[in-house]
Amino acid sequence: MDRGPDFRELVGDELTPEERARLERVHELLVEAGPPPELPPTLAEPPGESSASPIVLPRRRAGAMLALAAAIALVAFVGGFVAGKQGVNSGIHPIHTLIMHGTAADQNASAKLDIGELDSSGNWPLRVVIHGLPSLPKGSYYEMYLTNHGKAIAACGIFTVAGNPSTVRLTMPPTIKDYDGWIVTRESTGSSTHTVVLTT
Amino acid sequence: MRRVSANQATDGELILRTGDGDRGAFEALYRRYARPVFGLALRRLGDRGRAEDAVQETFASVWRGARSYRPERGPGGPWIYAVARNAIVDRARARSEPAVEAPDQESHDAGPGERAEASWTSWRIHRALEELPDNERKVIELAYWSGLSQSEVAEYLGIPLGTVKTRTRAALARLADQLEEELDGPGT
Repeated sequence: MDRGPDFRELVGDELTPEERARLERVHELLVEAGPPPELPPTLAEPPGESSASPIVLPRRRAGAMLALAAAIALVAFVGGFVAGKQGVNSGIHPIHTLIMHGTAADQNASAKLDIGELDSSGNWPLRVVIHGLPSLPKGSYYEMYLTNHGKAIAACGIFTVAGNPSTVRLTMPPTIKDYDGWIVTRESTGSSTHTVVLTT
Repeated sequence: MRRVSANQATDGELILRTGDGDRGAFEALYRRYARPVFGLALRRLGDRGRAEDAVQETFASVWRGARSYRPERGPGGPWIYAVARNAIVDRARARSEPAVEAPDQESHDAGPGERAEASWTSWRIHRALEELPDNERKVIELAYWSGLSQSEVAEYLGIPLGTVKTRTRAALARLADQLEEELDGPGT
């Protein structure tokens, strides 16, 4: 187990023995607990509100489903999708498959994006099989976005890669109406730079 | 009865108000517990997609079941923990796979009881972190999990090293106040 930072360096020497022992116990608990995870964009806000409940209800999703079906049809027309085979070991039954290509930032990267059937939570599951993206250092991660005319308009989730290929599960927001592509960007905590590494 | 703001209310008070249909109370609970629930789900399910589903189901259950909460039976935190745990188990069963710990979280020698206690401890820690002032939580997260030294944290935040140490001590003390049970250990 990671021993964590040096306790004495963290708090200095200006503590009574009793207080030092108390804070050191907290220190041990923090090391044991590990870092709290960053919430993905899909969980950044509480569940949405409808006229009947703060939890999204099927009647609200019906309108979004129609809009999304139209959007998927638009993507199929614009993006040149290929018919996908059903994936294995993932639980997703793809209704559409897209191929993503590496940009100049990562020319060797590619990905196959399967869009699954609407799930019980009202989201569109995505299964992304990624080739050629490198693992990133601590504090950096990849993020997938929906785009419209080249501009990112909605986030689908963040991920890291471990191995080649890597398979990740993301979700597509059900309420976005007009989009014509996907991109994957490379992000770093505290940085405002968003490097596009994959695109449809 | 005097009504405190959502930020000052206890977990139990927020659950009771959620049961009365108070949307603001529900959102306050979400802000307090979304990360701890997500962390718990990640530990148990080892999959971000299913963990996200478990978080959504947890709070849907909180909204539906808040009326069943009885403060005389105990504080609100353990009630939410139980709701989250059930949602996670349901999510694991939906895939016909046992809930597992993420491989880098637990000792291979830990038995089920120890793992459960470790999960509860992590839950409490992550929950307590959410209560810290932003400037204190930031130094703790950077000091413990960013790989930066304190000097590097000071440079990153643009504050003196002495301020980093002061905030770190203050944060640890504040966490100690919140985590009295965990500090005392079992049997006290």
